[in-house]
Amino acid sequence: MLTKCFRSLPFDNLSGLRGLSVLGPVFALLIISKAGSLIFHRTFPTSTPGAAAGPPGQTVGTLGLPGTSTLTTNDYLVLAGTFHGVHAITRSLTPKIPVAPSAGSSGRSWTYPDPTVPASGIESMESSFFRLTVFQTLSGTKFLLFTDPSMPNTDVLMKGVYERYADFVCKNPFWQMEMPIRIDAWERSMNQWLTRR
Amino acid sequence: MVVYSFYIFDRHAACIYKKTWLPSSFSSSVTPARPSSQPSQPYVNGGLQARAALSADNDAKLVFGTVFSLRTMVRKLGGEDDSFLSYRTSQYKLHYYETPTNIKFVMLTDTKSGSMRIALQQIYVNCYVEYVVKNPLSPVEHPGGLGVNNELFEASLEQFVVC
Repeated sequence: MLTKCFRSLPFDNLSGLRGLSVLGPVFALLIISKAGSLIFHRTFPTSTPGAAAGPPGQTVGTLGLPGTSTLTTNDYLVLAGTFHGVHAITRSLTPKIPVAPSAGSSGRSWTYPDPTVPASGIESMESSFFRLTVFQTLSGTKFLLFTDPSMPNTDVLMKGVYERYADFVCKNPFWQMEMPIRIDAWERSMNQWLTRR
Repeated sequence: MVVYSFYIFDRHAACIYKKTWLPSSFSSSVTPARPSSQPSQPYVNGGLQARAALSADNDAKLVFGTVFSLRTMVRKLGGEDDSFLSYRTSQYKLHYYETPTNIKFVMLTDTKSGSMRIALQQIYVNCYVEYVVKNPLSPVEHPGGLGVNNELFEASLEQFVVC
């Protein structure tokens, strides 16, 4: 059983874009600054069949699942802080493969499993109900995208979000680094990108 | 597929079993009650030295902290029925399985491996229950790995992972 190996197929850009027309729902987008504070969060209203038929007073949580309680802004701040720490820990947990000291060019007695890429923190996380895709920019800002587990090509989606972030947030002269993002143009563009189907 | 390490945590958050698979002659079994054959190599990379020296003992704690935080996060977002399955970094993938009795199984593999949830469940059913739970000499709790580090369990786990 362990020998079974499911390779994730690399998707080229074209098929990625085609995949966007059959999107599963995007649940939420969080942006965490390099200092670990939450600078943006947006949840997208999802219409699950159960929630639509349920009583109007029933709470549907962040992921649109009936029975989960809606998180407050404070909960999101805690979540972001926790994730920031976990992200750093997961990078330091990277297994170190011992090598013969003579083989190591840098004089280290160990190497990473894949020496061609630097160690990173969580890039994607799966649970039974959702998938979290994490993208960390070179400057340390983290984008967290919560999607349906069946959604393909979340990296294409993430790339689009990052492009819009660069265009509408970073280039905005009135926005300061590390400050919460309250920019209408960004929200409009990001909403359009993540909710069009 | 490569398996790097495997951990079992009991319901008191203590690591009751830990095993690492490292390539070639450096392979070692790091279980608390057994003589460890891990070579004590000097780490020669400045800042990483202290961290590396500590890591052998602290990795299990860090792994537990990570899966505990992620499990809490997942429960908060997806409700009580949601369960954390795995995460992936650029270098490795961590798989998680929790039994109804709160025993946690964690396995670190390479990034190309698929879902190992079934495999971890098989380890629980075919190795842990068979050779640890059903062992009349094994205590109910396993402080310091007592009762888990028996030869039959290790052999079956080894066989399961290597094959």
